[in-house]
Amino acid sequence: MANLWQKFTKYDGNGWWNLPHSASNDPNPPHENPIGGSWLSNIIRTVTHGGVSHAGPGFYWLVGLFLAIITLLEVWLFGVEGLGGWYIPILLGLSALKFVGVVAFFMHLRFDHRMFTYVFASSMIVGILIFSILLFLLEFGHQPPN
Amino acid sequence: MTQAVTTQHHEPVENTSTGLNSRKLLMWAFLGSDVMFFGAFIATYLVYRGKSLVGPYPDEILNIPVTSVSTFVLLMSSLAMVLGLHYVKEGNRGKATLWILMVVVLGAVFMGFQFVEFREFAHEGLTPRTNIFGTTFFILTGIHGAHVTIGVIWMAFLAYSSHTGKLRPDNALDLEIAGLYWHFVDIVWIVIFTVIYLISATDGAPAGVERVIHG
Repeated sequence: MANLWQKFTKYDGNGWWNLPHSASNDPNPPHENPIGGSWLSNIIRTVTHGGVSHAGPGFYWLVGLFLAIITLLEVWLFGVEGLGGWYIPILLGLSALKFVGVVAFFMHLRFDHRMFTYVFASSMIVGILIFSILLFLLEFGHQPPN
Repeated sequence: MTQAVTTQHHEPVENTSTGLNSRKLLMWAFLGSDVMFFGAFIATYLVYRGKSLVGPYPDEILNIPVTSVSTFVLLMSSLAMVLGLHYVKEGNRGKATLWILMVVVLGAVFMGFQFVEFREFAHEGLTPRTNIFGTTFFILTGIHGAHVTIGVIWMAFLAYSSHTGKLRPDNALDLEIAGLYWHFVDIVWIVIFTVIYLISATDGAPAGVERVIHG
């Protein structure tokens, strides 16, 4: 059983987590990020960048299964009554999990050069800012003066 | 002009100022701009959410079970995409072509679901001109659908390239860049499905507005 699991989750004799460093990582010094070597930067690095090459098919199937289960969970939650104010935050959280799953593993951001993460993450931050400002302005910008 | 050399890990190192492939960086920058593009449309939908003065309203018309199936189809197309890329890099032409074709098929199925949904909505009386819900809904999902259509055409060309042997491990980046686009279309739908469908599906007429029964 353990062998079957190893065969399924590993590729070419390497664990998907321990594949050789991508050559494109070489110009990037270790621990180089805006926050430095703090515990927070370690978490960010772990989540956004593994410093490893791409994984095998078994791992991708696992990620696909994970995404399918979350989608099922979302649809099931839609029919659950009594969640009240928790409904929207839970759905947004599950949606964010799927988002990160696809971006990190299917788009290989987890395994790719950190520069791609910076480009996409900075756009996401600007996008969320535009989103928030637009919501704020259009929601409160038309209030008649008292 | 960029040149690629191969290291001991068989990963190309681009001879550019960043050490990265310029086409791939460009695609990431484009996707970043598309985040803002879709962000603006989703924000607009949310601003006008629940402000339609005439029906049909979301609670009368959105079909969550059917859209859940189409969401699942699009998610699985992303899985097919990443498997296709894997087999191209491995040099397995048969499997690569099969999985890229699977992306085309699943993308086309998703478009079919959207076409049927739009036709059903029009039949129920919801068009982009009916109310503010119709306008914001059709613009957002329609633009997403246009992205999917472009992706399906792109993937069909790549499937043909793979079949004829023109897509090989040494130019797998062509598929990787197309794959980034395809996965992006998927993540946009993840947000749309949550915000437009699951969260808004119970929205009815705003307070003080009399609901008109359509039929």
